[in-house]
Amino acid sequence: MSVLTADSRRDLEIHRYPVLIYVLIPLVALVLQAWLPRLLGQYAWFDLPLVVTVYFALGRRSPIQGTLMGCAVGLFEDALTHHAIGINGIAKTVAGFMAASVGIRIDVENRIIRVGLIFLLSLLSSALRIFVNRFLLGLALETNWAAELYIALGNSVIALMAFPFLDRFQLRD
Amino acid sequence: METLFERYRNLVVLLAMLLLQIVGLAMQVHRGDTGHMSLDPHDSKGVRLIRLWANAAVSPPERVFHSVGESSSWLWQNYFDLRHVREQNKDLQTTVDRLRLEQAALLEDARQGERLQGLLNFQEKYIYKTQAAQIIGTSGSDQSRLFYIDKGSESKLERDMAVITADGIVGKVREVYPRSAQVLVINDQSSGAGVILETTRIRGILRGNAIGQPQIVGLMADSRIQAGERVLTAGGDEIFPRGLPVGTVDKVVKDPDQDGFIRVLVKPAAHLDRLDEVLVITSVEPRFPSDQTKDMATSETLKGAEAAEEKAQKKASEIMAERLPGLIDPNLPPEQQPLNDTSNPNPVVHPPQPLHPDRFTPGSDTNTGVGVTSGDAAGSTTPDANAPKKPATPPSKPQNPPGTAPAKPDKDTTPRRNP
Repeated sequence: MSVLTADSRRDLEIHRYPVLIYVLIPLVALVLQAWLPRLLGQYAWFDLPLVVTVYFALGRRSPIQGTLMGCAVGLFEDALTHHAIGINGIAKTVAGFMAASVGIRIDVENRIIRVGLIFLLSLLSSALRIFVNRFLLGLALETNWAAELYIALGNSVIALMAFPFLDRFQLRD
Repeated sequence: METLFERYRNLVVLLAMLLLQIVGLAMQVHRGDTGHMSLDPHDSKGVRLIRLWANAAVSPPERVFHSVGESSSWLWQNYFDLRHVREQNKDLQTTVDRLRLEQAALLEDARQGERLQGLLNFQEKYIYKTQAAQIIGTSGSDQSRLFYIDKGSESKLERDMAVITADGIVGKVREVYPRSAQVLVINDQSSGAGVILETTRIRGILRGNAIGQPQIVGLMADSRIQAGERVLTAGGDEIFPRGLPVGTVDKVVKDPDQDGFIRVLVKPAAHLDRLDEVLVITSVEPRFPSDQTKDMATSETLKGAEAAEEKAQKKASEIMAERLPGLIDPNLPPEQQPLNDTSNPNPVVHPPQPLHPDRFTPGSDTNTGVGVTSGDAAGSTTPDANAPKKPATPPSKPQNPPGTAPAKPDKDTTPRRNP
């Protein structure tokens, strides 16, 4: 893992995308996240909005943009559930911030690092969601830790395939 | 010089976003009567608006995906696969395979038709009015077990309507949008349905657990509860009508949170993870099928006929009463008829006259004690005990009623009077 200074990485490898992509890709991820569990049932072990959030946060390498995108995607995801709006919002806000912060400091072009990072951020997101539910809201919800682990693994596998695909939408100079 | 905000602006933005969301969360929860925190079951206007926007953004693409999925399936089955078969099997084999594919498609159609027919039959026979709906999407989170259906307020769906299939209950409508609705499934942790065990008649509340299996919570340990027992809706929650199948008892486990309590894991009757079509109970007013309606009409007609017959019988008895002798005196005016005479509350009732009066007969002279003596005199007159018994007085004619001429006394028994 090569560690670079923040300025050098920000200047050299900021990925840029068409504005429409910033809207369409998260929306597609949200729609697929809502639609695919119909086909896969209880085996829908993935969190596509989180994968997209982490991807853009890593690509843009801007903690503010990562924070805002994570917040927007998380709130949107919350709006589709019957839980309080903000649970996923907080989790993905922190995940977006962390991804962008890490993206500044380490080389995230490496596939293994990407997969490991998305795995850890998935677990972090799950932990934050559970923290908000149990301690901030005081809701007595049970947690299936095995499912959270499967989701983190699923996110890693999807990221492995989706990140190269999403890289094609980059604007090249 | 760099200001503090500029230096830590990333962190400031993060904290600001988190703070905003925490404040928003705090506005959505409240402390219940039991002291536990819970989400408000009814969203506030702002939250509902956000959900409405999210739904409006996601539902149309979901519909498109759903349609595209079905069209692709149709296209695959009816074109690509068919062409592939033609390439592989030429001439005669083509025809055979095409027929096989058509047969498979027909079989699939038949299965789908059978499934829909079953649903339709259930819907027709079901006593309550229902609305069929197709599932178009889910929440996408296993923490929130709900799905979206393609019917909404335009189809007269409302909140808290029960959602069922022919197999059993599925959930309840949580939010209604114009063309879609959100259904909370019974295996969600925040759902709740009043249920009753069929045999033991133990009541409880059904809700989901972390792995999405419905369970009855808050029950005292009871050895009578056995696996396989049927679970039905109790009807007390004002959402599900009573008696609908919920599932069967899978197993009984100890409640880890409360000593002495158990949790009854339930295997749901409806296939909650493989649902395509559901029925929403839109009205709990009983709706009887046509044959039952006919039966009820016939019953009403028969009841009317019985009433008419009873009336006719009453009329006949009145006619009979008019014609009975003694009750109607043709010589008396109607108001003085014995039936209508109410002047004497205790009318004199004459006892019937005996056919063979003897000395004990009321009104007979031999019964007055005139011809009976006591003591020795009596003994002289009393016939020998061994003598054959003879009646003390011969049969006399019946006494005349009062006011009529007395009967002629008998020569042998009546004491003679001196002239």
